Amino acid sequence: MILAHVRLRRRVSLLAAGALEGPEREETRRHVEACARCREEHDALRAVVAALEADPLREAEPPVPLAFLVGRVEREVAQAHAPAGRPRRWLVALPVGAALLAAAVLVPVLVARLRPAPEAARAEIPPAEASPLLTEDALSRIERNLAREHAARYLSDAGEVLVSVAATGVDCDPADERLDVGRAPERSRELLERRALVVQGGSEAVASARGVLDDVELALREVADLPSCVKRRDVERLRREVEDRQLLMRIRLMTRELEG
Amino acid sequence: MEPSQGGAGDRELMARLARGDREALAPLMEKHYRRLYRIALSYLRQPDDALDVVQEAFVRAFQSASRWDGSAEAGPWLARITVNLSIDRWRRNRRRAQTFTPLAESDHAASLADLGPSPDRRVQGRETGERLTAALRVLPERQRAVVVLRHYQDMSLEEIASALDMSLGTVKSSLHRALSRMRANLVGGQP
Repeated sequence: MILAHVRLRRRVSLLAAGALEGPEREETRRHVEACARCREEHDALRAVVAALEADPLREAEPPVPLAFLVGRVEREVAQAHAPAGRPRRWLVALPVGAALLAAAVLVPVLVARLRPAPEAARAEIPPAEASPLLTEDALSRIERNLAREHAARYLSDAGEVLVSVAATGVDCDPADERLDVGRAPERSRELLERRALVVQGGSEAVASARGVLDDVELALREVADLPSCVKRRDVERLRREVEDRQLLMRIRLMTRELEG
Repeated sequence: MEPSQGGAGDRELMARLARGDREALAPLMEKHYRRLYRIALSYLRQPDDALDVVQEAFVRAFQSASRWDGSAEAGPWLARITVNLSIDRWRRNRRRAQTFTPLAESDHAASLADLGPSPDRRVQGRETGERLTAALRVLPERQRAVVVLRHYQDMSLEEIASALDMSLGTVKSSLHRALSRMRANLVGGQP
């Protein structure tokens, strides 16, 4: 009996954990029924297991929609797989555009200075047409791409702010059921200032994003008006609104579209 | 454990990830993100940290897909990544808490107790959550992982051994010791 007790002691825990099967389970169960000390231990361990099984975390739902999480993972993956040191396209486009603009202005001036006195017919040709470096079309394309890159970054940043509010679980005043939303209101105000530039700077280029931009603006205005310590029900209301409008998924899709 | 919706589907998605197909991420995440979130949350007891861990787990999955053994199930493999990342995060948080402001026990427990599927369950689970958090946090990292996979994911001991890369005997010992220790903390008595 003593030898059996020593041998089966570990199994009592496993029986309580529901982790034994077949003959092993039967043998241990019979021993527990016969051994008062093991029965006491088994019952106490069952209480532990019951407490674990009653833990509400077993059924906890992620605080953000799947679409948002997918977006975050895809961004991480894209960044990790970008060639080292490769800047974003808009960072490339900006200096290239500036260089082309400078060339468009300077080249005709330099050419004019280096040439002998121009013939009257040639002097009538406008400088822009004299330069093959930058056409109106090329300039438009650069401007359009820049506008779309800015809009994509704006939407992506707005998505981060909305999720930071929706996902907050940090109490700032547990007695009053208030949650800490950190810098989200301040960041929303900054983003709303950026929005004007995004919309005015590229109204044609971002026309397809207008619906999402409008809904994002509404949501950001609500966040911008919040204090940093917010009533839980206000956070939940905002989360529901974002979900009802499928805003995070639309942001993700539109960001991808704008980034081409 | 929540039912896996077909290893074959997972295998196909993993094969696509291994080829660098990012479009395979969304369907793979749809199948597994809830379960991985619950693993991370059960371990870390903080939703923000758990969400970060799930995100990182899928990034790692994408990066390591080419090294994934095609004959294995993706579910336990993802669970292993999630547990390891949760342990890393736990260590980092502990170091930070030691270096900066120690997290008050009551604050931690309160944030845990706010989590739950519904307000009723939240209220009901508040006390349970507080006690469990206190009992789980004193367990060694691997013992804690065994408890989480067994009692929050209903994984068999063999599946746990595979997910944690441990022998079956070590899993049994770990579960025995963890429950005995938790018993001492929750119910009273010798560990």
